[in-house]
Amino acid sequence: MEYLSANKILVVDLASAEVTDDELSDELVGEKIGGAAVAKHLYEQHADGDPIVIGTGLLTGTLFPAAAAGVITAKSPVTGKISHCPITLKVGLEIQYSGFDYIVIKGKSPEPAFLWIHDGVADISSAADVWGKNVWETTDTWRKAMGDDLIQTIVIGKAGEDQSDLAQVCYNYWASGDRWGFGKNFGAKNLKGLAFRGMGLLEMADAEEFVELALDVLEEVKEGEFVGKKGIGDICTAIGEADINAWLAPIVHRHSACYNTPYATNTFVFLDEDAQKLTEPEHSEPGFLITDIFGLIGFKNLGLSAVEAGNLLKACAKYGIDAAAVAELSLAAGKKTLAEIQGSFATLVGTVTRPGSGIFSPWCPNQPLFGKFDDADDDPAAWWERRMAVASIFGIHPILAVMSPEITEDDLLEIATVGTEVEFSQDILDNAVNYLLK
Amino acid sequence: MAIKIDALKCTGCMACEMACGYHRDDGFALLSSCIVAYRTKEKKDYFGVLLKREEDLLIARPEGTEIKRIGETEETPAAGKQQDASAKPMLLREACDLCEEMDLGPMCIKFCPFDAISED
Repeated sequence: MEYLSANKILVVDLASAEVTDDELSDELVGEKIGGAAVAKHLYEQHADGDPIVIGTGLLTGTLFPAAAAGVITAKSPVTGKISHCPITLKVGLEIQYSGFDYIVIKGKSPEPAFLWIHDGVADISSAADVWGKNVWETTDTWRKAMGDDLIQTIVIGKAGEDQSDLAQVCYNYWASGDRWGFGKNFGAKNLKGLAFRGMGLLEMADAEEFVELALDVLEEVKEGEFVGKKGIGDICTAIGEADINAWLAPIVHRHSACYNTPYATNTFVFLDEDAQKLTEPEHSEPGFLITDIFGLIGFKNLGLSAVEAGNLLKACAKYGIDAAAVAELSLAAGKKTLAEIQGSFATLVGTVTRPGSGIFSPWCPNQPLFGKFDDADDDPAAWWERRMAVASIFGIHPILAVMSPEITEDDLLEIATVGTEVEFSQDILDNAVNYLLK
Repeated sequence: MAIKIDALKCTGCMACEMACGYHRDDGFALLSSCIVAYRTKEKKDYFGVLLKREEDLLIARPEGTEIKRIGETEETPAAGKQQDASAKPMLLREACDLCEEMDLGPMCIKFCPFDAISED
Protein backbone atom coordinates (compact mmCIF):
# COMPACT_ATOMS: atom_id res chain seq x y z
CA MET A 1 0.00 0.00 0.00
CA GLU A 2 1.73 3.11 -1.24
CA TYR A 3 -0.40 5.83 0.31
CA LEU A 4 -1.57 6.68 3.85
CA SER A 5 0.53 3.79 5.00
CA ALA A 6 3.96 2.70 6.11
CA ASN A 7 3.29 -0.41 4.02
CA LYS A 8 4.43 -2.69 6.81
CA ILE A 9 2.81 -5.29 9.04
CA LEU A 10 5.07 -6.30 11.89
CA VAL A 11 4.77 -9.85 13.20
CA VAL A 12 6.44 -10.56 16.53
CA ASP A 13 6.68 -14.06 17.96
CA LEU A 14 7.56 -13.55 21.61
CA ALA A 15 8.20 -17.26 22.14
CA SER A 16 10.93 -17.51 19.52
CA ALA A 17 11.95 -13.83 19.61
CA GLU A 18 11.45 -13.78 15.85
CA VAL A 19 10.50 -10.45 14.28
CA THR A 20 9.36 -10.27 10.66
CA ASP A 21 7.50 -7.80 8.55
CA ASP A 22 5.11 -8.18 5.65
CA GLU A 23 3.79 -5.70 3.14
CA LEU A 24 0.30 -4.31 3.63
CA SER A 25 -1.27 -5.39 0.36
CA ASP A 26 -3.56 -3.23 -1.75
CA GLU A 27 -5.94 -6.20 -1.91
CA LEU A 28 -6.33 -6.35 1.88
CA VAL A 29 -6.90 -2.59 2.12
CA GLY A 30 -9.27 -2.72 -0.84
CA GLU A 31 -11.35 -5.35 0.96
CA LYS A 32 -11.15 -4.42 4.64
CA ILE A 33 -10.12 -0.72 4.34
CA GLY A 34 -8.18 -0.49 7.62
CA GLY A 35 -8.20 -0.25 11.40
CA ALA A 36 -10.22 -2.83 13.29
CA ALA A 37 -11.29 -4.71 10.14
CA VAL A 38 -7.71 -5.34 9.03
CA ALA A 39 -6.70 -6.04 12.63
CA LYS A 40 -9.43 -8.68 12.94
CA HIS A 41 -8.28 -10.26 9.66
CA LEU A 42 -4.71 -10.42 11.02
CA TYR A 43 -6.00 -11.83 14.31
CA GLU A 44 -7.71 -14.66 12.44
CA GLN A 45 -4.66 -15.23 10.24
CA HIS A 46 -2.45 -15.69 13.33
CA ALA A 47 -5.10 -17.14 15.64
CA ASP A 48 -2.95 -20.11 16.67
CA GLY A 49 -0.56 -17.73 18.42
CA ASP A 50 -3.34 -16.16 20.54
CA PRO A 51 -2.36 -12.78 19.09
CA ILE A 52 -2.78 -9.23 20.20
CA VAL A 53 -3.03 -6.99 17.13
CA ILE A 54 -2.31 -3.29 17.34
CA GLY A 55 -3.07 -1.08 14.37
CA THR A 56 -4.07 2.24 12.95
CA GLY A 57 -7.10 3.31 10.96
CA LEU A 58 -6.82 4.28 7.32
CA LEU A 59 -6.90 7.99 8.20
CA THR A 60 -5.10 7.92 11.58
CA GLY A 61 -2.54 10.68 11.88
CA THR A 62 -3.85 12.72 8.94
CA LEU A 63 -5.55 16.12 8.95
CA PHE A 64 -9.02 14.61 8.70
CA PRO A 65 -10.88 15.79 11.83
CA ALA A 66 -10.57 13.43 14.83
CA ALA A 67 -8.24 11.03 12.97
CA ALA A 68 -6.60 10.17 16.29
CA ALA A 69 -7.46 6.57 16.91
CA GLY A 70 -5.64 3.32 16.62
CA VAL A 71 -6.99 -0.02 17.79
CA ILE A 72 -6.06 -3.01 19.92
CA THR A 73 -7.75 -6.21 18.79
CA ALA A 74 -7.61 -9.43 20.78
CA LYS A 75 -9.79 -12.09 22.36
CA SER A 76 -11.16 -10.71 25.60
CA PRO A 77 -10.39 -13.02 28.51
CA VAL A 78 -13.63 -11.97 30.19
CA THR A 79 -16.07 -12.25 27.29
CA GLY A 80 -14.29 -14.74 25.03
CA LYS A 81 -15.06 -12.54 22.04
CA ILE A 82 -12.73 -10.84 19.61
CA SER A 83 -13.01 -7.28 20.80
CA HIS A 84 -11.53 -3.90 19.94
CA CYS A 85 -10.20 -1.16 22.16
CA PRO A 86 -9.58 2.36 20.83
CA ILE A 87 -6.08 3.83 21.13
CA THR A 88 -6.40 7.53 21.87
CA LEU A 89 -4.43 10.57 23.12
CA LYS A 90 -1.30 10.86 20.94
CA VAL A 91 -0.53 7.13 21.00
CA GLY A 92 -2.38 6.26 17.76
CA LEU A 93 -0.56 9.12 16.05
CA GLU A 94 2.82 7.89 17.23
CA ILE A 95 2.10 4.33 16.08
CA GLN A 96 1.22 5.67 12.64
CA TYR A 97 4.57 7.44 12.31
CA SER A 98 6.68 4.72 13.94
CA GLY A 99 6.91 2.80 10.70
CA PHE A 100 4.29 0.07 10.97
CA ASP A 101 0.59 0.01 10.12
CA TYR A 102 -0.16 -3.13 12.14
CA ILE A 103 1.68 -5.09 14.81
CA VAL A 104 0.81 -8.72 15.45
CA ILE A 105 2.14 -10.03 18.76
CA LYS A 106 1.89 -13.76 19.29
CA GLY A 107 3.31 -16.37 21.62
CA LYS A 108 4.60 -15.94 25.15
CA SER A 109 7.95 -14.47 26.02
CA PRO A 110 10.04 -16.66 28.35
CA GLU A 111 11.04 -13.54 30.30
CA PRO A 112 9.36 -10.15 30.86
CA ALA A 113 9.74 -8.16 27.66
CA PHE A 114 8.60 -5.01 25.91
CA LEU A 115 8.57 -3.92 22.30
CA TRP A 116 10.46 -0.77 21.33
CA ILE A 117 9.14 0.34 17.99
CA HIS A 118 10.80 3.30 16.34
CA ASP A 119 11.31 4.54 12.79
CA GLY A 120 10.55 1.21 11.15
CA VAL A 121 12.63 -0.83 13.60
CA ALA A 122 11.19 -3.21 16.19
CA ASP A 123 13.21 -4.55 19.10
CA ILE A 124 12.15 -7.09 21.69
CA SER A 125 13.78 -5.74 24.85
CA SER A 126 13.99 -6.97 28.38
CA ALA A 127 11.39 -5.63 30.80
CA ALA A 128 13.03 -7.26 33.81
CA ASP A 129 13.81 -3.85 35.32
CA VAL A 130 10.21 -2.66 35.12
CA TRP A 131 8.35 -5.89 35.89
CA GLY A 132 6.72 -5.11 39.22
CA LYS A 133 6.78 -1.37 38.59
CA ASN A 134 3.55 0.52 38.13
CA VAL A 135 2.39 2.11 34.88
CA TRP A 136 3.76 5.55 35.70
CA GLU A 137 7.16 4.26 36.78
CA THR A 138 7.39 2.13 33.65
CA THR A 139 6.65 4.96 31.23
CA ASP A 140 9.10 7.19 33.10
CA THR A 141 11.76 4.48 32.98
CA TRP A 142 11.41 3.93 29.24
CA ARG A 143 11.33 7.64 28.42
CA LYS A 144 14.42 8.24 30.50
CA ALA A 145 16.25 5.23 29.07
CA MET A 146 15.53 6.36 25.52
CA GLY A 147 16.12 10.03 26.35
CA ASP A 148 12.86 11.17 24.84
CA ASP A 149 9.85 12.45 26.77
CA LEU A 150 7.63 12.15 23.72
CA ILE A 151 7.79 8.37 23.53
CA GLN A 152 4.23 7.04 23.67
CA THR A 153 3.52 3.86 25.57
CA ILE A 154 0.97 1.10 25.96
CA VAL A 155 1.68 -0.43 29.36
CA ILE A 156 0.31 -2.78 31.99
CA GLY A 157 0.68 -2.46 35.74
CA LYS A 158 0.41 -4.93 38.59
CA ALA A 159 -3.10 -6.02 37.61
CA GLY A 160 -1.89 -7.15 34.21
CA GLU A 161 1.20 -8.85 35.57
CA ASP A 162 -1.03 -10.78 38.00
CA GLN A 163 -3.42 -11.57 35.12
CA SER A 164 -6.49 -10.08 36.75
CA ASP A 165 -9.65 -10.12 34.64
CA LEU A 166 -9.94 -6.42 35.45
CA ALA A 167 -6.48 -5.56 34.14
CA GLN A 168 -6.40 -2.65 31.74
CA VAL A 169 -3.68 -1.53 29.37
CA CYS A 170 -2.87 2.14 29.92
CA TYR A 171 -1.60 4.84 27.58
CA ASN A 172 1.50 6.64 28.92
CA TYR A 173 0.11 7.32 32.40
CA TRP A 174 -3.61 7.36 31.76
CA ALA A 175 -6.63 5.06 31.61
CA SER A 176 -7.69 3.60 28.28
CA GLY A 177 -10.83 2.24 26.68
CA ASP A 178 -9.77 -1.30 27.57
CA ARG A 179 -12.88 -2.68 29.22
CA TRP A 180 -11.99 -6.14 27.93
CA GLY A 181 -9.20 -7.20 30.27
CA PHE A 182 -6.58 -6.89 27.53
CA GLY A 183 -4.11 -6.09 30.31
CA LYS A 184 -4.43 -9.77 31.25
CA ASN A 185 -3.52 -10.79 27.67
CA PHE A 186 -0.36 -8.72 27.97
CA GLY A 187 0.49 -10.25 31.34
CA ALA A 188 -0.08 -13.77 30.04
CA LYS A 189 2.49 -13.11 27.32
CA ASN A 190 5.03 -11.65 29.79
CA LEU A 191 4.61 -8.48 27.77
CA LYS A 192 4.96 -5.33 29.87
CA GLY A 193 4.02 -3.11 26.96
CA LEU A 194 5.13 -1.22 23.89
CA ALA A 195 6.97 2.05 23.39
CA PHE A 196 6.60 4.01 20.16
CA ARG A 197 8.42 6.87 18.50
CA GLY A 198 8.63 7.75 14.86
CA MET A 199 9.37 10.45 12.36
CA GLY A 200 7.69 8.84 9.38
CA LEU A 201 5.97 10.45 6.43
CA LEU A 202 2.51 9.64 5.12
CA GLU A 203 2.00 10.33 1.46
CA MET A 204 -1.31 10.79 -0.31
CA ALA A 205 -2.31 10.00 -3.87
CA ASP A 206 -3.78 13.49 -4.29
CA ALA A 207 -2.48 15.54 -1.39
CA GLU A 208 -4.04 18.85 -2.34
CA GLU A 209 -7.51 17.41 -2.80
CA PHE A 210 -7.20 15.39 0.40
CA VAL A 211 -6.32 18.45 2.46
CA GLU A 212 -9.08 20.55 0.92
CA LEU A 213 -11.66 17.85 1.68
CA ALA A 214 -10.37 17.52 5.27
CA LEU A 215 -10.70 21.27 5.72
CA ASP A 216 -14.24 21.27 4.33
CA VAL A 217 -15.26 18.61 6.86
CA LEU A 218 -13.48 20.42 9.70
CA GLU A 219 -15.36 23.61 8.92
CA GLU A 220 -18.66 21.71 9.10
CA VAL A 221 -17.63 19.94 12.32
CA LYS A 222 -16.77 23.29 13.90
CA GLU A 223 -20.40 24.34 13.41
CA GLY A 224 -21.63 21.30 15.34
CA GLU A 225 -23.82 21.20 18.42
CA PHE A 226 -20.86 20.54 20.73
CA VAL A 227 -19.30 23.93 20.10
CA GLY A 228 -18.86 25.74 23.39
CA LYS A 229 -18.77 22.49 25.38
CA LYS A 230 -15.56 21.03 26.70
CA GLY A 231 -14.05 18.39 28.86
CA ILE A 232 -15.35 15.28 30.47
CA GLY A 233 -17.84 17.15 32.66
CA ASP A 234 -19.91 18.35 29.71
CA ILE A 235 -19.91 14.82 28.28
CA CYS A 236 -21.26 13.58 31.62
CA THR A 237 -23.95 16.25 31.47
CA ALA A 238 -24.90 15.10 27.97
CA ILE A 239 -25.49 11.55 29.21
CA GLY A 240 -27.61 12.66 32.15
CA GLU A 241 -25.01 13.13 34.89
CA ALA A 242 -25.50 16.85 35.15
CA ASP A 243 -24.14 17.30 38.66
CA ILE A 244 -20.66 16.00 37.78
CA ASN A 245 -19.60 19.39 36.42
CA ALA A 246 -20.21 21.33 39.65
CA TRP A 247 -18.70 18.52 41.76
CA LEU A 248 -15.55 18.42 39.64
CA ALA A 249 -15.17 22.13 38.82
CA PRO A 250 -13.04 23.21 41.83
CA ILE A 251 -10.21 20.87 40.82
CA VAL A 252 -10.36 21.20 37.03
CA HIS A 253 -7.11 22.56 35.65
CA ARG A 254 -7.36 22.32 31.86
CA HIS A 255 -9.02 20.26 29.18
CA SER A 256 -7.03 18.65 26.41
CA ALA A 257 -7.78 16.91 23.14
CA CYS A 258 -6.50 13.78 21.53
CA TYR A 259 -4.63 14.28 18.27
CA ASN A 260 -6.49 16.61 15.88
CA THR A 261 -9.77 16.01 17.69
CA PRO A 262 -12.09 19.04 17.71
CA TYR A 263 -13.45 18.34 21.20
CA ALA A 264 -11.30 18.18 24.33
CA THR A 265 -12.43 14.82 25.70
CA ASN A 266 -9.84 14.75 28.50
CA THR A 267 -9.85 16.79 31.71
CA PHE A 268 -6.85 17.29 33.95
CA VAL A 269 -7.58 17.73 37.65
CA PHE A 270 -5.11 19.05 40.20
CA LEU A 271 -5.19 17.01 43.40
CA ASP A 272 -2.62 18.82 45.52
CA GLU A 273 -2.12 22.22 43.90
CA ASP A 274 -4.32 25.18 43.09
CA ALA A 275 -6.18 24.16 39.94
CA GLN A 276 -6.39 27.76 38.75
CA LYS A 277 -2.64 28.15 38.67
CA LEU A 278 -1.37 28.56 35.12
CA THR A 279 2.37 28.55 35.68
CA GLU A 280 4.26 25.28 35.67
CA PRO A 281 3.31 23.21 38.74
CA GLU A 282 5.90 22.80 41.45
CA HIS A 283 5.04 19.15 42.08
CA SER A 284 6.19 16.65 39.50
CA GLU A 285 2.86 14.80 39.71
CA PRO A 286 0.21 17.35 40.71
CA GLY A 287 -2.85 15.54 39.43
CA PHE A 288 -4.47 13.25 36.93
CA LEU A 289 -5.78 13.35 33.38
CA ILE A 290 -9.31 11.95 33.41
CA THR A 291 -9.98 10.01 30.22
CA ASP A 292 -12.57 7.56 31.58
CA ILE A 293 -16.13 8.91 31.75
CA PHE A 294 -17.65 5.90 33.50
CA GLY A 295 -14.86 5.45 36.01
CA LEU A 296 -15.38 9.04 37.10
CA ILE A 297 -19.16 8.65 37.33
CA GLY A 298 -18.79 5.37 39.21
CA PHE A 299 -16.53 6.88 41.87
CA LYS A 300 -18.82 9.86 42.30
CA ASN A 301 -21.74 7.48 42.80
CA LEU A 302 -19.81 5.83 45.64
CA GLY A 303 -20.07 9.11 47.51
CA LEU A 304 -16.43 10.09 47.13
CA SER A 305 -15.32 13.70 46.91
CA ALA A 306 -13.90 14.90 43.60
CA VAL A 307 -10.38 14.88 45.06
CA GLU A 308 -10.86 11.34 46.37
CA ALA A 309 -12.22 10.22 43.00
CA GLY A 310 -9.26 11.83 41.25
CA ASN A 311 -6.84 10.08 43.57
CA LEU A 312 -8.60 6.76 43.04
CA LEU A 313 -8.57 7.15 39.25
CA LYS A 314 -4.85 7.87 39.51
CA ALA A 315 -4.32 4.80 41.68
CA CYS A 316 -6.25 2.66 39.18
CA ALA A 317 -4.12 3.92 36.29
CA LYS A 318 -0.91 3.25 38.17
CA TYR A 319 -2.09 -0.26 39.02
CA GLY A 320 -3.44 -0.78 35.49
CA ILE A 321 -6.95 -1.74 36.51
CA ASP A 322 -10.30 -0.83 34.92
CA ALA A 323 -11.68 2.01 37.06
CA ALA A 324 -15.28 1.60 35.92
CA ALA A 325 -15.15 -2.07 36.93
CA VAL A 326 -13.57 -1.16 40.26
CA ALA A 327 -16.38 1.32 40.93
CA GLU A 328 -19.10 -1.18 40.05
CA LEU A 329 -17.66 -4.03 42.10
CA SER A 330 -16.88 -1.75 45.05
CA LEU A 331 -20.46 -0.50 45.08
CA ALA A 332 -21.75 -4.09 45.06
CA ALA A 333 -19.36 -5.05 47.88
CA GLY A 334 -20.26 -2.04 50.00
CA LYS A 335 -16.76 -0.58 49.88
CA LYS A 336 -16.97 3.17 50.04
CA THR A 337 -13.74 4.69 51.26
CA LEU A 338 -10.69 5.47 49.20
CA ALA A 339 -8.47 3.29 51.40
CA GLU A 340 -10.89 0.33 51.34
CA ILE A 341 -11.23 0.43 47.58
CA GLN A 342 -7.57 0.93 46.82
CA GLY A 343 -6.67 -1.83 49.26
CA SER A 344 -8.92 -4.28 47.42
CA PHE A 345 -7.39 -3.98 43.93
CA ALA A 346 -5.53 -7.28 44.24
CA THR A 347 -8.56 -9.28 45.35
CA LEU A 348 -11.36 -7.63 43.41
CA VAL A 349 -13.37 -10.13 41.33
CA GLY A 350 -16.88 -10.34 39.97
CA THR A 351 -19.09 -9.84 36.97
CA VAL A 352 -19.03 -6.40 35.46
CA THR A 353 -21.63 -4.73 33.26
CA ARG A 354 -20.35 -3.99 29.78
CA PRO A 355 -23.09 -2.50 27.59
CA GLY A 356 -23.13 -3.44 23.92
CA SER A 357 -22.44 -6.61 22.01
CA GLY A 358 -18.92 -7.13 23.33
CA ILE A 359 -17.19 -6.00 20.14
CA PHE A 360 -16.61 -2.27 20.70
CA SER A 361 -15.62 -0.74 23.99
CA PRO A 362 -18.42 0.71 26.14
CA TRP A 363 -15.81 3.23 27.30
CA CYS A 364 -17.47 5.37 24.61
CA PRO A 365 -21.02 6.44 25.54
CA ASN A 366 -23.61 4.45 23.62
CA GLN A 367 -25.75 7.40 22.62
CA PRO A 368 -25.42 10.60 20.59
CA LEU A 369 -23.66 13.37 22.50
CA PHE A 370 -24.91 16.92 21.86
CA GLY A 371 -25.53 16.31 18.16
CA LYS A 372 -28.64 14.90 16.49
CA PHE A 373 -28.14 11.79 14.38
CA ASP A 374 -31.10 11.09 12.11
CA ASP A 375 -30.50 7.35 12.11
CA ALA A 376 -29.96 6.94 15.87
CA ASP A 377 -33.58 6.90 17.01
CA ASP A 378 -34.92 3.75 15.34
CA ASP A 379 -32.39 1.30 16.74
CA PRO A 380 -29.92 3.11 19.02
CA ALA A 381 -27.88 -0.02 19.77
CA ALA A 382 -27.40 -0.85 16.09
CA TRP A 383 -26.61 2.79 15.33
CA TRP A 384 -23.89 2.84 18.00
CA GLU A 385 -22.30 -0.44 16.90
CA ARG A 386 -22.16 0.73 13.28
CA ARG A 387 -20.79 4.15 14.26
CA MET A 388 -18.08 2.44 16.33
CA ALA A 389 -17.28 0.05 13.50
CA VAL A 390 -16.89 2.83 10.95
CA ALA A 391 -14.82 4.96 13.35
CA SER A 392 -12.55 2.02 14.15
CA ILE A 393 -11.96 1.26 10.47
CA PHE A 394 -10.94 4.80 9.56
CA GLY A 395 -9.24 5.75 12.85
CA ILE A 396 -11.76 8.34 14.01
CA HIS A 397 -11.93 9.12 17.71
CA PRO A 398 -14.97 7.12 18.91
CA ILE A 399 -16.29 9.88 21.18
CA LEU A 400 -16.18 12.39 18.36
CA ALA A 401 -17.95 9.81 16.21
CA VAL A 402 -20.99 9.93 18.51
CA MET A 403 -20.71 13.70 18.84
CA SER A 404 -20.41 14.86 15.26
CA PRO A 405 -23.00 13.82 12.66
CA GLU A 406 -21.09 16.11 10.31
CA ILE A 407 -18.56 13.29 9.89
CA THR A 408 -20.42 11.07 7.43
CA GLU A 409 -19.63 7.74 5.83
CA ASP A 410 -19.70 9.49 2.44
CA ASP A 411 -17.02 11.93 3.62
CA LEU A 412 -14.84 9.11 4.88
CA LEU A 413 -15.17 7.07 1.70
CA GLU A 414 -14.45 10.05 -0.52
CA ILE A 415 -11.36 11.19 1.32
CA ALA A 416 -10.06 7.63 1.66
CA THR A 417 -10.37 7.22 -2.11
CA VAL A 418 -8.64 10.54 -2.79
CA GLY A 419 -5.88 9.65 -0.36
CA THR A 420 -5.15 6.16 -1.64
CA GLU A 421 -6.36 5.85 -5.25
CA VAL A 422 -8.32 2.80 -4.09
CA GLU A 423 -11.99 3.12 -5.07
CA PHE A 424 -13.78 2.66 -1.77
CA SER A 425 -17.51 2.17 -2.24
CA GLN A 426 -20.38 1.96 0.20
CA ASP A 427 -20.55 -1.79 -0.50
CA ILE A 428 -16.93 -2.22 0.56
CA LEU A 429 -17.58 -0.32 3.77
CA ASP A 430 -20.76 -2.28 4.47
CA ASN A 431 -18.88 -5.53 4.02
CA ALA A 432 -16.08 -4.41 6.34
CA VAL A 433 -18.58 -3.29 8.97
CA ASN A 434 -20.54 -6.55 8.70
CA TYR A 435 -17.29 -8.50 9.03
CA LEU A 436 -16.61 -6.70 12.31
CA LEU A 437 -20.14 -7.14 13.61
CA LYS A 438 -20.69 -10.79 12.73
CA MET B 1 0.66 39.73 9.10
CA ALA B 2 1.89 37.59 11.99
CA ILE B 3 0.67 34.52 13.84
CA LYS B 4 -0.99 35.00 17.23
CA ILE B 5 -1.52 32.07 19.62
CA ASP B 6 -3.94 31.90 22.53
CA ALA B 7 -2.46 29.18 24.73
CA LEU B 8 -5.55 29.01 26.91
CA LYS B 9 -7.70 28.07 23.93
CA CYS B 10 -5.12 25.49 22.87
CA THR B 11 -5.91 21.89 23.78
CA GLY B 12 -2.58 20.48 22.65
CA CYS B 13 -4.16 18.53 19.78
CA MET B 14 -1.19 19.07 17.42
CA ALA B 15 -3.33 19.84 14.36
CA CYS B 16 -1.25 23.00 13.82
CA GLU B 17 1.95 20.98 13.90
CA MET B 18 0.68 18.49 11.33
CA ALA B 19 -0.76 21.25 9.11
CA CYS B 20 2.63 22.97 9.12
CA GLY B 21 4.33 19.66 8.42
CA TYR B 22 2.11 19.20 5.37
CA HIS B 23 3.13 22.66 4.15
CA ARG B 24 6.78 21.72 4.48
CA ASP B 25 6.76 18.15 3.18
CA ASP B 26 3.69 17.82 0.91
CA GLY B 27 2.74 14.82 3.02
CA PHE B 28 1.91 14.23 6.66
CA ALA B 29 4.95 14.46 8.91
CA LEU B 30 6.03 16.36 12.00
CA LEU B 31 9.77 16.67 11.60
CA SER B 32 9.89 19.96 9.70
CA SER B 33 7.07 21.92 11.35
CA CYS B 34 7.99 25.40 12.57
CA ILE B 35 5.02 25.36 14.95
CA VAL B 36 5.16 22.70 17.65
CA ALA B 37 2.85 21.68 20.47
CA TYR B 38 5.01 21.79 23.58
CA ARG B 39 4.00 18.62 25.47
CA THR B 40 6.95 17.10 27.28
CA LYS B 41 5.62 17.92 30.74
CA GLU B 42 2.71 15.54 30.43
CA LYS B 43 2.32 14.63 34.10
CA LYS B 44 2.15 18.32 34.98
CA ASP B 45 -0.45 19.14 32.32
CA TYR B 46 1.79 22.00 31.28
CA PHE B 47 1.53 22.52 27.56
CA GLY B 48 1.64 25.27 25.00
CA VAL B 49 2.86 26.11 21.54
CA LEU B 50 6.25 27.14 20.12
CA LEU B 51 6.56 29.01 16.84
CA LYS B 52 9.90 29.57 15.18
CA ARG B 53 9.99 32.89 13.39
CA GLU B 54 12.75 34.50 11.33
CA GLU B 55 14.35 36.31 14.22
CA ASP B 56 12.95 34.74 17.34
CA LEU B 57 10.85 32.10 19.00
CA LEU B 58 7.26 32.80 20.02
CA ILE B 59 6.41 30.77 23.13
CA ALA B 60 2.71 30.61 23.97
CA ARG B 61 2.57 29.40 27.55
CA PRO B 62 -0.62 29.10 29.61
CA GLU B 63 0.45 32.08 31.72
CA GLY B 64 1.22 34.29 28.74
CA THR B 65 3.19 34.71 25.55
CA GLU B 66 6.92 35.32 25.45
CA ILE B 67 9.23 36.19 22.62
CA LYS B 68 12.80 34.99 23.03
CA ARG B 69 15.88 35.17 20.91
CA ILE B 70 16.59 31.70 19.53
CA GLY B 71 19.15 29.90 21.64
CA GLU B 72 18.31 31.63 24.88
CA THR B 73 15.18 29.90 26.06
CA GLU B 74 14.41 26.91 28.16
CA GLU B 75 13.06 25.20 25.06
CA THR B 76 16.24 25.89 23.08
CA PRO B 77 18.84 26.22 25.82
CA ALA B 78 22.39 27.27 25.42
CA ALA B 79 24.98 24.60 24.72
CA GLY B 80 25.79 22.40 27.66
CA LYS B 81 22.38 22.63 29.30
CA GLN B 82 20.01 19.71 29.21
CA GLN B 83 17.09 20.14 26.86
CA ASP B 84 13.92 18.27 25.97
CA ALA B 85 14.28 15.88 23.09
CA SER B 86 11.27 17.44 21.40
CA ALA B 87 12.93 20.85 21.33
CA LYS B 88 16.18 19.76 19.78
CA PRO B 89 15.08 20.11 16.17
CA MET B 90 13.70 23.65 16.61
CA LEU B 91 17.08 25.21 15.96
CA LEU B 92 17.35 23.32 12.72
CA ARG B 93 13.89 23.96 11.39
CA GLU B 94 12.98 26.65 8.90
CA ALA B 95 11.20 29.70 10.24
CA CYS B 96 7.52 30.38 9.66
CA ASP B 97 6.86 31.83 6.20
CA LEU B 98 3.11 32.22 6.80
CA CYS B 99 2.62 29.47 4.20
CA GLU B 100 3.36 31.89 1.39
CA GLU B 101 2.47 30.50 -2.02
CA MET B 102 -0.24 28.29 -0.53
CA ASP B 103 -3.81 29.25 -1.34
CA LEU B 104 -5.10 27.77 1.90
CA GLY B 105 -2.46 29.18 4.24
CA PRO B 106 -1.47 29.86 6.92
CA MET B 107 -2.28 26.20 7.44
CA CYS B 108 -1.98 26.26 11.24
CA ILE B 109 -4.74 28.86 11.44
CA LYS B 110 -6.97 26.98 9.04
CA PHE B 111 -6.64 23.62 10.76
CA CYS B 112 -6.77 24.64 14.42
CA PRO B 113 -10.06 23.07 15.59
CA PHE B 114 -10.25 25.47 18.53
CA ASP B 115 -9.42 28.78 16.82
CA ALA B 116 -6.48 29.19 19.16
CA ILE B 117 -4.30 30.48 16.33
CA SER B 118 -5.16 33.64 14.46
CA GLU B 119 -3.70 36.46 12.41
CA ASP B 120 -2.24 39.35 14.36
